[in-house]
Amino acid sequence: MNNSDSDSGGAFGLSPANSPAEPKTAGQKAAALKARLGKILAASGVKAAEDADSPSHFGFGVNRVDAALRGNADQPGLPRAALHELHAADKSDRSSAAALALLLAQRCRALGSDRKPILWISESGQARRQGRLYPPGLAELGIDPSGIIHVDAPDSIAVLRAAADGIRSPAMGAVIAELSGRKPRGLDLTATRRLSLSAQKSGVLGLLLRCGGDADNPLPTAAFSRWQVAAAPSVPLAANAPGHSVFDISLLRHRSGLYGLSARLEWNRDDQVFREQQQSHERAPYPGAVPALSAGRADHPGTRAA
Amino acid sequence: MVIMAADRQAVALGLGPGMKLADARARVPELLAFDHDPLADASLLARLAEACERYTPMVAAEPPDALILDISGAAHFYESETALAQDAEDRLDAVGHAICWALAGTPDAALALARHGLKEGAEAQLPVSALAMDAKTHQALERAGLYRIGDLAERPRANLAARFGMELTLRLDRILGSEDRPIDPLRRVGNIVTERRFAEPLTHIDAALTCLSELFAEAAERLNQRGQGARMIRILLFRCDGDVARLGIETGAPTRDAALFKRLLRERIEALNDALNPGFGYDLIRLSIVAADPLAPQQLRLEGGEDRQGDAIALVSQLSTRLGRERVQTFAPADSHIPEQGLLALPALNAPAPVPWRVKPSGDPPTRPLHMFDPPQRVQVIAEVPDGPPHRFTWRRKSHQVIRYEGPERIASEWWQRPDGQQPGNGGLTRDYYRVEDARGRRYWLFRHGLYGEEKANPDWYVHGLFA
Repeated sequence: MNNSDSDSGGAFGLSPANSPAEPKTAGQKAAALKARLGKILAASGVKAAEDADSPSHFGFGVNRVDAALRGNADQPGLPRAALHELHAADKSDRSSAAALALLLAQRCRALGSDRKPILWISESGQARRQGRLYPPGLAELGIDPSGIIHVDAPDSIAVLRAAADGIRSPAMGAVIAELSGRKPRGLDLTATRRLSLSAQKSGVLGLLLRCGGDADNPLPTAAFSRWQVAAAPSVPLAANAPGHSVFDISLLRHRSGLYGLSARLEWNRDDQVFREQQQSHERAPYPGAVPALSAGRADHPGTRAA
Repeated sequence: MVIMAADRQAVALGLGPGMKLADARARVPELLAFDHDPLADASLLARLAEACERYTPMVAAEPPDALILDISGAAHFYESETALAQDAEDRLDAVGHAICWALAGTPDAALALARHGLKEGAEAQLPVSALAMDAKTHQALERAGLYRIGDLAERPRANLAARFGMELTLRLDRILGSEDRPIDPLRRVGNIVTERRFAEPLTHIDAALTCLSELFAEAAERLNQRGQGARMIRILLFRCDGDVARLGIETGAPTRDAALFKRLLRERIEALNDALNPGFGYDLIRLSIVAADPLAPQQLRLEGGEDRQGDAIALVSQLSTRLGRERVQTFAPADSHIPEQGLLALPALNAPAPVPWRVKPSGDPPTRPLHMFDPPQRVQVIAEVPDGPPHRFTWRRKSHQVIRYEGPERIASEWWQRPDGQQPGNGGLTRDYYRVEDARGRRYWLFRHGLYGEEKANPDWYVHGLFA
């Protein structure tokens, strides 16, 4: 676990194993506890080893974040066969949260060999008011729109029912259910517990996208992890043009008790991976953050002219 | 105003169709009159036709007031054809319809007999007006001393045809039964029809559902012999008091899977606006496979494991049945450079094969938003005239400072689609799109609608989408 650089990176993940008071005895204790916990987790079926050939965890592709998310599990990243919750920090951050959900689903789907579809479920009234998914924009983010099944549910109950059916079916790559409002009808501990149990059984990633909820006092859910997503200023291109999509994410809750993990991520379409941006005041000369922009733009000067 | 139809009592008082309403009122002051509503009549006739499908699948409505039932080979549930007709009369009488019926070899003969209150074999006694030619022909026939169809039948056809035209001999042949006419039944007969009749009506939905599952299993067996799977299934539940409940189920791929059918059926029944009401019970349940596609028997995978593709289609079918086929969609690109017309949302149930999307060369950030507003939303913008970028805009009562922008990307309207679009001023408004980012890092897609001064004096601004 590379917790050596986590001090320099600002906020970092705390895992129970790497904050020992007395290294010797506590280390042994931790190992024993870990073994015990592993047994309990195996018995409770958290790690549904349904697909032996594809990995059971997926991550952002950023080493620091993925390693910090390891928690008690034996692999870095987040478990695929679980329900995760993404909160938009503000109503106007809905697009960022939606994009992050789609990109995580895309990364998770890419782990398997067969291209399973992503099931996107939203409320129709919400889509009319807040804008609906625009497939050409998806294509430009690197997500194939033909791999998406779009479901327009009339109300939140129908959203949850469709999500339950989708998660239960192992033919889906991922299921994203979008619910907005402070307290959507039907969304409670029981419903989310049902979703996460189905996810464990079928091995399908479930993502619950929440918009307009109360971030300080969220509804109790049985999700494995809860994230807050906000839009962040992009790294400008030439002539001060807006750059690639940048997200501020912070971990609000995790089954293993992690908290306080936050990062600023930039999506790289070509490698289908997130890159971390340094959160410093001057524009960071992080080599991976801006992938060969100047060269690409010099090569195609005409493509971006109006 | 003229009387279009009269009930028995009115006819007994000497009133009848064709009489002026004022004359009728003068004779019978307490007359009750209602407006003639042909549409309501037609829909009632259609409903009766549906209810008569219990006797035969070949039922045609003959507006304004007749039904034709082709009962060839369908009378074996009754002692005789007359018993069948008597049963229909009893049932319709029970719901308050007085009917006249007749049995004949051809639809025209039966119609003519029923309309004149005669029974089978009495064609010769029909008046010549039963031919339903124009009044002038009828008059001419009567003047020639031909009052009955029987009189006409004795005459040589060639002379009749020479005098009154081929139309008359054709109609005559049809009434006499030497020429048949195909009827246009209410619906096409399904490929495969399975049905159950019950001596004692089923009063529980669960029993009806079990019966439907058995019927589907029978149909699936026959589909299997043909190497087909069902795409569209129609279910008719006939209540013993004449009401008919109709259910339709559509699947995303041909299927013979009874478990899937059961699941879809349950979804369909739950999605009904008014729940199924068995009332006094169903005495006939019919399931027909309306559309079928080839479906070869599937080989299981050698290494085990289930078939994923089939599962995905089953899920799509299930969601489409529950929510409606328009609510479960897949996307396909459309050939238009107008942003909101650049996509097609097709029902996932029968979506075509996926088409690859055009993706721009790599390295650039997305130029199209993730969420789109349709229609675009108005914003107040401070921008330089004539064609400067936006500096600040107000959207949903919040002000946003533009920190970065890119643009304009100019998208002309499709002037060739408009009448006289090539003339200046008729071509529609050009849009100048800007990708902008505000201080908090939200990225918007704004456009100016119309070129300043040339197309519009004071162009409006809209926000058309939101970037991730």
